[in-house]
Amino acid sequence: MAIHDVGYRTWQGKLASPWTRWMVITKAGVRRAWQSSWLKRMMFFAWLPAIFFALGFFLWEQSLLNRDMLRMLDGPMRHQMQDLDLKGFSAGLQIEDERVARHSVWSWLLYFFFRYPQGGIMVLMVGIIAPPLISQDVRSRAFLLYFSRPIARWQYALGKIATVWFYLLMISAAPALLLYVLGVFMSPSVQVISDTWDLPLRIVAASAVLMVPTASLALCLSSLTEESRYAGFSWFAVWILGWFTYAVMTAVELGHTAEPDSTTLEKWAPVSLYHTFGEVQGWVFGFAPFEQIKYAALLLAVITVVSTAVLFRSISAPLRA
Amino acid sequence: MNALIELDEISKNYGSFRALDRVSLKIDAGITSLLGPNGAGKSTLIKVLLGLLRATSGRGQLLDYQLGRHNRQIREQVGYMPEDDCYLTGLSGVESVQLSAQLSRFASLEALRRAHEILDFCGMGQERYRTVETYSTGMRQKLRFAQALVHDPPILILDEPTSGLDPGERESMLNRIKILACEKGKAVLLCTHILPDVQAVSDAVVILASGRVRVAESLERLSVPTAPSLRVKVLGDADAFMSDLGRAGLKVRSGANGTITVEGVHEELSERIWQQARQAGVGVRSIEPSRNSLEEIFLTAVREQPDGHS
Repeated sequence: MAIHDVGYRTWQGKLASPWTRWMVITKAGVRRAWQSSWLKRMMFFAWLPAIFFALGFFLWEQSLLNRDMLRMLDGPMRHQMQDLDLKGFSAGLQIEDERVARHSVWSWLLYFFFRYPQGGIMVLMVGIIAPPLISQDVRSRAFLLYFSRPIARWQYALGKIATVWFYLLMISAAPALLLYVLGVFMSPSVQVISDTWDLPLRIVAASAVLMVPTASLALCLSSLTEESRYAGFSWFAVWILGWFTYAVMTAVELGHTAEPDSTTLEKWAPVSLYHTFGEVQGWVFGFAPFEQIKYAALLLAVITVVSTAVLFRSISAPLRA
Repeated sequence: MNALIELDEISKNYGSFRALDRVSLKIDAGITSLLGPNGAGKSTLIKVLLGLLRATSGRGQLLDYQLGRHNRQIREQVGYMPEDDCYLTGLSGVESVQLSAQLSRFASLEALRRAHEILDFCGMGQERYRTVETYSTGMRQKLRFAQALVHDPPILILDEPTSGLDPGERESMLNRIKILACEKGKAVLLCTHILPDVQAVSDAVVILASGRVRVAESLERLSVPTAPSLRVKVLGDADAFMSDLGRAGLKVRSGANGTITVEGVHEELSERIWQQARQAGVGVRSIEPSRNSLEEIFLTAVREQPDGHS
């Protein structure tokens, strides 16, 4: 029973801005997604690599104060770092100018943070969040509840996309910026900020490269079906098949090439979204010229545009029926 | 005063199929029922009113807003309760209503306060804290009603609001609709197949068939038969009494449940009926002016050809 039933009362209050309604959809989506215990676990694991990379920042800054440590990093640990594909880190140790070396090493650490642990966790996390976001609305016919309100299609789509963006920010830009701040605090002087002022911008750009195409693609797949599991399956299939194809094709290529160079591997990057992202993020952090990654960037742009167009079309379809 | 909803020659085509054919209507405050067989174009008309579909031709206006031009403003002024079982998964009842209010531009806290108030009005108790997936059909029906109402719109479009409700809940729902229309001055467009509901609450009726408006009139006027007549119920052999009335020169026909309809002017006719009953030795249970039943009106309108012939 109602505690204080006042009957029906008319309402005369101040309405909020119509331009912020997409945020209502985002907040509801974020809250709804957070109910998943899998997502909570995933978020925990997404932040664990940051500890490892924080150790990298710590070792580097300590090595500048303690030359013995620098010799240790550049000596016995060199092979391990190369095995871990941390060649850039050890290359940075060779640079004489401390300020240039710091920028190089920090950039490599952040690039690797984005490329390897966060890249993999992103695939898993989006695979949990995105598939039900629109497919469940299609299934439960919630479209009518949204679009009988003063909500435009773009607001609905932006609200849903921003839900995915929020979680991707939480595992990419947020820990990376925290690592940067940690690096600043561990460095001997505030001069480090002027040496590395561009890195926060590069972090934001790298996050955008990660977030925009992935969110559009994932929601496009979600909008094409009423079954979240089909959308989830398609999402993982895109990544796994792409990665597998890349691995097979590069292995075959390397087997037939007497003197393989970097272009041998880059040539096959477009078949794998994972490697395409890696290429573009390499450019964002300054490790590859744009000429080298232009096709990868174009591919991501095409994926974003096509996915968004399909998403808008799918959103409109139930209303036309 | 201008009508709250005014449609002028609205047509809507799906390819070569014409779902709405030059629909012209005026809907005022009060309860207007929209009736029609399946496929008559009711859902299309609602979607056109909400701006979800663009009319192929024609013009329309809701309050002061033009259809097709001011869709956002129109949706701010309309509360729509869909017939479909649509809900937002993972949210509790109160969260669903709060979200609806926020989508209609309410601030978060005000939306929550208003959601509780409306759920109280709709007779939802503690079940408002359960997720919507666990709700029964009737509870979901009440929830959709609350979502339509939460932003206090002047126009309500209710699609089958009483389907799936038990008799008690159905009566409560109709009472709420009456309160909103009569006491709060809202215009209610009620789409339903349940004719007794229409008869119980409606001020006016619009009957659509094959995309055309067949009837658009106040229920009071529709109920008055074209020729005056009386409906007579008797104790005894109704068929024999009807034959007696026929032999006495009266125009009679049998109605439902053993009633006899006698055509003629009321004052002189009732006197003759009483005389015939006394002579035939049957008891008269009731004599009342006959009224057209909504079922008859509906069936006649639906059977009518688009050019006006039966």
